Amino acid sequence: MHRKIVLAAVAASALLLAACGGSSSDSASSGSSESGGSSQAAGGGGEGDCPGPDAFCIGLVTDTGKVDDKSFNQSAWEGAKEAAKATGGYAKYIETVDPKDYANNMNQFISAGYDVIITVGFLMGEASVEAADAQKDKGTTFIGVDQFQADPIIPNLTGLVFSEDKAGYAAGYLAGLMTKTGKTGAVLGTDTVPPVKLFGEGYKAGALAANPNVEVTLVYHAPDNAFNDPEWGAAEAKKQLAQGADIIFGAGGNTGNGALIEIAKAAGAGETIFCIGVDTDQYYTVPQAQKCLLTSAEKKLREGTRDLIILAKDGKAPGGNYFGLTGLAPYHDTEAAVPDDVKKKVEEVVKGLDAGTILTNVTLG
Amino acid sequence: MSTMDPSRTDLGFSDPDPRRSGPLDRIPSIVLPIVSVLLAFAVGGILIWLQGVSPLRAYAVLFSNALGTPEGLLRVMEKSTPLILTGLAVTVGLRAGLFNIGAQGQLLVGAIGAAWAGYHFQLPLIVHLPFAVLFGMLCGAAWASIAGVLRAYRSVSEVITTIMLNAIAIALVDYLASEPLKEEGQPLTRTPAIADSAALPVFGIVPSGFLLALAVAVFFGWYLTRTTQGFRFNTIGLNPSAARYAGISVKGTIVLAMAVSGALAGLGGAIETLGVTGRFEPAFNAGLGFDGITIALLARANPLATIPAALLIGTMRTGAAALQFQTGIEPEVVDVILAITLLFVSAPIVARLLFRNRNIKQTTVTSGWGS
Repeated sequence: MHRKIVLAAVAASALLLAACGGSSSDSASSGSSESGGSSQAAGGGGEGDCPGPDAFCIGLVTDTGKVDDKSFNQSAWEGAKEAAKATGGYAKYIETVDPKDYANNMNQFISAGYDVIITVGFLMGEASVEAADAQKDKGTTFIGVDQFQADPIIPNLTGLVFSEDKAGYAAGYLAGLMTKTGKTGAVLGTDTVPPVKLFGEGYKAGALAANPNVEVTLVYHAPDNAFNDPEWGAAEAKKQLAQGADIIFGAGGNTGNGALIEIAKAAGAGETIFCIGVDTDQYYTVPQAQKCLLTSAEKKLREGTRDLIILAKDGKAPGGNYFGLTGLAPYHDTEAAVPDDVKKKVEEVVKGLDAGTILTNVTLG
Repeated sequence: MSTMDPSRTDLGFSDPDPRRSGPLDRIPSIVLPIVSVLLAFAVGGILIWLQGVSPLRAYAVLFSNALGTPEGLLRVMEKSTPLILTGLAVTVGLRAGLFNIGAQGQLLVGAIGAAWAGYHFQLPLIVHLPFAVLFGMLCGAAWASIAGVLRAYRSVSEVITTIMLNAIAIALVDYLASEPLKEEGQPLTRTPAIADSAALPVFGIVPSGFLLALAVAVFFGWYLTRTTQGFRFNTIGLNPSAARYAGISVKGTIVLAMAVSGALAGLGGAIETLGVTGRFEPAFNAGLGFDGITIALLARANPLATIPAALLIGTMRTGAAALQFQTGIEPEVVDVILAITLLFVSAPIVARLLFRNRNIKQTTVTSGWGS
């Protein structure tokens, strides 16, 4: 009898641990990899504790993820570190576990007298507006990475935004020129988040502009857990490969990364089968996908964050929306697979998009 | 006891023979969780120390930030509220011999139900608020009853069905929040904001939802030990065959126990929606139901003990951000400490060390876990 009870207890705790694991990935809280703790790697100018009111201090709050998420949080954090170096300031982060704690986490920095607070990601938009509004006359500048600012504009809050449709268009244009099977696809986070949809629709428009006969398949994840479902991303990528697509665009945090990694495993990866990453140069952030990675539809997030922080130091953060640049990352290992005339055409398209002479004509209906 | 119904597992959480549960025998059942928590903090302290931070400083930061400021206290109470209720939900199930792993799903359904009731109607506060709360509870109860009916009439293990219903609930609320109940013209997946007349007020820094949760815990402390229905729950938990022999409707009681359990989890979700978030948004309620299992086990299925257990977890989760800010320790250390606590509470090792000089029977009687 006693043995049975003990067994039940052990079984119960095993179940519970499994359940705990499940719950934390639901809330996208636990990156399993380690991030070398923020404050330990201190040093004058760069990462570290804010030494006092005279120093220029930068605080970053992640959007339920870790600073080494190989995506937005990581790029923004790298930008913050660069800005700290450039300005002789100090940068520090807090990783959010529960989305209800956004305000609480920002308050850690506010009450410690930080000068600039960076909040990362679309989902933190409302919390950032609220916090910035409350600090309007108190000298704290807020930077909302990937947060579009609607009216009324809060003067001490600048949204760092990107024309995702342009980045997607450039990537799609390249895919349209490169595809041999005439089929290309994209595995995306949820279309309820506008930047993701802009990437997808931009990609489609670009591919069709390069070659009107290309068949473009876009798949979006369901809203829940949209950016942390690599298994789903991998399965969708496999499906598209089986349907004959030879170039696939993966966009949506870990979900898109799952697609890229799966494609790198396919036969012919890097020769006839290619993948395209998103947001950052994923050659470095997802090394497992290097083999197939043609390029990445890049938001110059690191540069944008850095530049905005430096503007903020001089009191010149504009408020409202600040458009960062977009583009395509270097080809790296697939350099030789891309014909020179394709490279040239794509380069012109990126320039045209930047200059506004080429329009993507993508709108969110 | 299992001869009549071999699918039943004795979870050992039903209230034992009242004659033998006098004050003296109660002591060990309080000691075990406390010792487990302390041991878990010691192990967590070693982990913190290995990262080059003084454990004492880390724990001081963890608790002082949460308990030392008005905002921190408000967050502790807000965070503890759903934990008390999901802890109670699991507790009620355990008393009746049912292991409800589905508090998460029941909470989600209750949260979105309360959101709908909160924004869809325009009613005076005195009607609207109770209606929204009760509707959330009703949704949770209905969701849990599916598992209850399957258990009672088809002998399907509630452990399996409640886990599966969690997955279905996640998909269901996602669909509801992204299609029929979605806020118009809003890119985010979420429902409209609830009306002011459905919002749970905050008195100073004390959320009314927290007071409600405390009242419910006290009520169940009385209900499970002092009412006929509570006695029925305990009896079918202890010995369903004897319960049947005594004329208790085992099937009906199982369904009722699951419904009550689900209503409690649903209440937790309703309070989250009406008192904290003001609307339903899928990512907002992650993990609360699973914490309820930890709390119920830590509280050893004692309704009143869910209050300190939930406060402990709520405090640690509130202080986690300050911990990272001031010491660089990652917030997940809180989950590590909780998992170790749970391991110590459920595994017999600690109990054996604690009670080796005592009469084995005594420890068995008080808990069922100890030997």
